[in-house]
Amino acid sequence: MTALLEMRRIEKRFGGIHALKGVDFDLHSGEAHVLLGENGAGKSTLMNILSGNIAPDSGDIRLSGTSAHFSGPAEAHTAGIAMIPQELDLVPGLDIAANLFLGNEERTAWGTLAHRRMHSAASELLKKAGVSLDAGRPVSSLRMGERQLVAIAKALSANARILIMDEPTAALSATEAEHLFRVVRELCARDVGVIYISHRLEEVPRVADRVTVMRDGRVAGEAKADAPQAELVRLLVGRSFEDLFPPQASRIGRELLQLEHARFDPSIERAGWQAARDVSLTVHAGEIVGLAGLMGVGRTEFLSALYGFEAKGRWSGMVLVDGKPAHLGTIAAARHAGIAYVTDDRRGTGLILKHSVGENVVLSTLRRITPWALVAPRKERRYVADALSRFDVRPKLPEALVVNLSGGNQQKVVFAKELVSEPRLLLLDEPTRGVDVGAKAEIYAQLRSLTAKGLGVLVASSELPELIGLCDRIVVMSGGRTIAEFGPRASEEEIRHASANRTEAA
Amino acid sequence: MTDEPATPAIDVARAEVRPRLRPLDYVIRFQSILGLILVVIGGIVFSPRRHGHILFLQPDNIANIVRSISETGILALGMTFVIIAAGIDLSVGAVLGLSSVLTAALLINEGWGLWTTLPLVLVCATLFGLLQGAISVRLQVQAFIVTLAGLQAARGLALIASGNEFININYGSGPGNAPPAFAILGERLFDNTFPVATLVFLVLAVVATFFLNHTRYGRYVFAVGGNERAARLSGIPVEWVKISVYGITGLCSGVAGIVHAGQFAFGSPTDGTGYELNAIAAVVIGGTDLFGGAGTMIGTIAGAIMLGALANVLQLNDVSAAMQLLATGAIIVAAAALQTFVGRRDTRSR
Repeated sequence: MTALLEMRRIEKRFGGIHALKGVDFDLHSGEAHVLLGENGAGKSTLMNILSGNIAPDSGDIRLSGTSAHFSGPAEAHTAGIAMIPQELDLVPGLDIAANLFLGNEERTAWGTLAHRRMHSAASELLKKAGVSLDAGRPVSSLRMGERQLVAIAKALSANARILIMDEPTAALSATEAEHLFRVVRELCARDVGVIYISHRLEEVPRVADRVTVMRDGRVAGEAKADAPQAELVRLLVGRSFEDLFPPQASRIGRELLQLEHARFDPSIERAGWQAARDVSLTVHAGEIVGLAGLMGVGRTEFLSALYGFEAKGRWSGMVLVDGKPAHLGTIAAARHAGIAYVTDDRRGTGLILKHSVGENVVLSTLRRITPWALVAPRKERRYVADALSRFDVRPKLPEALVVNLSGGNQQKVVFAKELVSEPRLLLLDEPTRGVDVGAKAEIYAQLRSLTAKGLGVLVASSELPELIGLCDRIVVMSGGRTIAEFGPRASEEEIRHASANRTEAA
Repeated sequence: MTDEPATPAIDVARAEVRPRLRPLDYVIRFQSILGLILVVIGGIVFSPRRHGHILFLQPDNIANIVRSISETGILALGMTFVIIAAGIDLSVGAVLGLSSVLTAALLINEGWGLWTTLPLVLVCATLFGLLQGAISVRLQVQAFIVTLAGLQAARGLALIASGNEFININYGSGPGNAPPAFAILGERLFDNTFPVATLVFLVLAVVATFFLNHTRYGRYVFAVGGNERAARLSGIPVEWVKISVYGITGLCSGVAGIVHAGQFAFGSPTDGTGYELNAIAAVVIGGTDLFGGAGTMIGTIAGAIMLGALANVLQLNDVSAAMQLLATGAIIVAAAALQTFVGRRDTRSR
C-alpha cells in the first residue's frame, strides 16, 4: 500500500540555523499521526513546507506516490492539503456559513449572495465534520472549541485529503478537547489523513495511531501511540524526565502565607471568572507549593486575586502574611507584603515587547535606580548587567529588544524583573509555557536556588509532571476551592483522580 | 504553547546577530532631524534671491520661522508625553484659545496684574487637562472622545470668558490697560534677532526633554504606553500617569495661550483652531509611535521646526496655501509610512 504522503530527506536552513536536518515523515490515509516536539524542534517548519508556505532547500515530497512541488500555499491546497493554524482564520463578525465560503461566495443569478444555498451547503459541511451547530450563528458567539470545529469544517470544504492541525487543543477545555478527538477519529474513518502537531504527551494515545517525535531538526524516533510516556519523554527531551528537576527542599522555614477558608469577593462579577470561594493552604519559606486542577477551576483567578491584578474585590476569611493579618487585594498591598507575580501571559502582561531587555528588567524596581526621582544611568547599567548574569538571559545585551528573544529567554527576563525586587513570596502561573526544555531546566534550578535562600513559591501549572517534579507539596483546586493536598512524589494518577472525582460530585 | 512563535531558535539567532541599531534604525530615530536638514537645504537651493542674498537665510526670515513655530512647538512638547503614554489630546488648540482669552480678560477687563493673572491661567489650563484625563481614566472613555468633547467645552468657556468678543490688549497704566512688561512676548532679543516667544519654547523644550529622559516619571510614561497591563503588574501607578500627562498638555496649552496673547496683543476665543493637528503632526514626524511606548522629544522639536521651515520655503516661493497644505499632508504620511515600513521589516520573518 502506498502511503498518502511521503516526505524524504527534507532539509531547510534559515540563515545560520539548520532547522531541518534530513527529516523523513509519512502518513497513511485514515491515519492520525501525531508530530511531537518541543518549541523549536522543527515541527512547524516541516508542516509549513508541506502546506507550501516555505520552500525546502532539498528533499522529496510524494503524494500517493507521485512527486509534488508546491510553489505556494494555494497549490498545496489544491493538492488536498489543508492546514488549520493555531490562530484560526475566522472572521468573528460573520456567521458560520459566511466564514466557510469566505473568498468563494456563491451568487444568485442577480449577482447577490446566495444566502440560502450557502447556508444549506454549510450545514452539510458541518455535518461532515461531525459538528452540530447552526450555520447561521455568528462565529463571535462560539466557544473556542466550537470555533476549532468550524475551522475543521472550513478545511474540509476544499476536499482535503491531508489535514494538518497545529496544537488545536491549546485553548480548549478538557471536554472540548475530548470532542475534538472524537471528530478527528471520525475523519480518519473517512480516510482523511490527519497530522496532529502537539507537545502534550497525554494527548497522544487519545488521538493518534502513531507518533513521530522531533528534536533539534531531526526525527528522534517513531513509536506506536500507546508507547509508555517515559519513552516518549526520553525521545522528546533527549534525557530522562527526572533529570530536569533539582532535588526537593531540604529545609522548610516559617510560614510565609497562610490561608484558612479564605474567600475572594470580586466587586464586579466577571463572566467565566471562577473566584476563590474557599481556599486553605500554607506556603513556607524555602518551599515550592503547586496548584493543580483542571482548566477553569480558578487557579489563575486565585493567584491574580492574591496579587490584586485585574481583580478588584475583598478577601475574607483568614489571610496571614508572615503570621500577621494582611489586607491583600491591591497590587500596592501585595508588593508591600513582598509578593511578586508572574502571569501565564508574558507577552500580554509580563513584558513590554517593544522595549529593550534592560528597560524591562528595571520595570518593577524603577524606584531603586531613580534616586531623587531622577534616572541614574550608570547605576542602572550596573543593576541590569547584574540581573542579566544572575538569571542567565541570553544574549546578555541590555539593548536587545525582548520581542526578538526566544520564549525561554523572554521568560527569564520576566523572572529577572520580578525577582530583582527580592520578594519573599513568588506567585507563578504556568511558568514554563512555551519554553523549551533547556530553559525549563534552568528555570527550575533557579527557583530551587532562590528557595534555598528563603523564597516561598506558589506555582500553578496544568502540566502535572512538572508540578510533581518541581514541588514539595501539591494542592488540588476545584470550583474555586482547595479540595486535596499531596506531599512530594505523589503519583499523577492520585492527583488526577482527586481533581476528577470532585468535579463529578459538584 | 498558544502564543509562541514556532521558531524560537531563529529569534535567538536574530537577537544575537543584530543586537545593535542598523543604519535604517538611525534614519528612523532621527528622521525628523534628517527631514529638517533636507528642508533647510531645499530652502537654500530654492530660495528666491535679492541683491545676491539668499532670502531664506536672512536673519529676519529665520526669526520669522522660529517665531511661527513657537506656539505649536510648545503644544507638541506636551503632546509628546500624551502620545508616548498611548493617548491623544485634541483639545490643546482650544485650550490655547481659552487661555489667551482668559489672559486678556483678566488683564484688561478685570485689571489684574501679571503675577496674579499668569499663574491663574496656567493653573486653569492644567486643571482643565487633568479633568479630561480623570474623566478618560475613571469613566473609561477613550481619550479621543473625551478631548474632542474638551475641545468643544474649551471653546464654549472661551466665548463665555470673552463675552463673545475679541479682547484687545492695550499697554499702559490705569484701568483697561495691561502692564507694558507683558509686551515683551511679542518682541525680539539680541539686537532684535531672537523672538522671545521662541525663547519660551526652547526653555520649555529643554525642561520637557529632561523630564522625559532623565526622570522616573518619564520612564513611567514610556512603560504605560508600551504595555499598560505589564506596567500595572509591575507596580507602576498607571492611572496617575495616564491622568497626569493630560495635565502636562493642559499646562503647555496654557503657556502657549499666554504667548499667543502676548505676541498678538489680543485674546480671541476662536484662535488656535487646528493647532492640535499641527502639534500631532510634529510629534508623528518626530518619530513618536502613535500606539505609544516609543518616541523622542528631540524628534518632536525638530519635527515642529521642520514644519515651520517647510511652510516658510513654500511661502517664499509663492506656493499657494492649498499646495502648502498638500505638502504638509504628504510629509506626515511619508513619516508614518517610513516607521511602519521598518516595523514590518522587523516582524516580517516571524
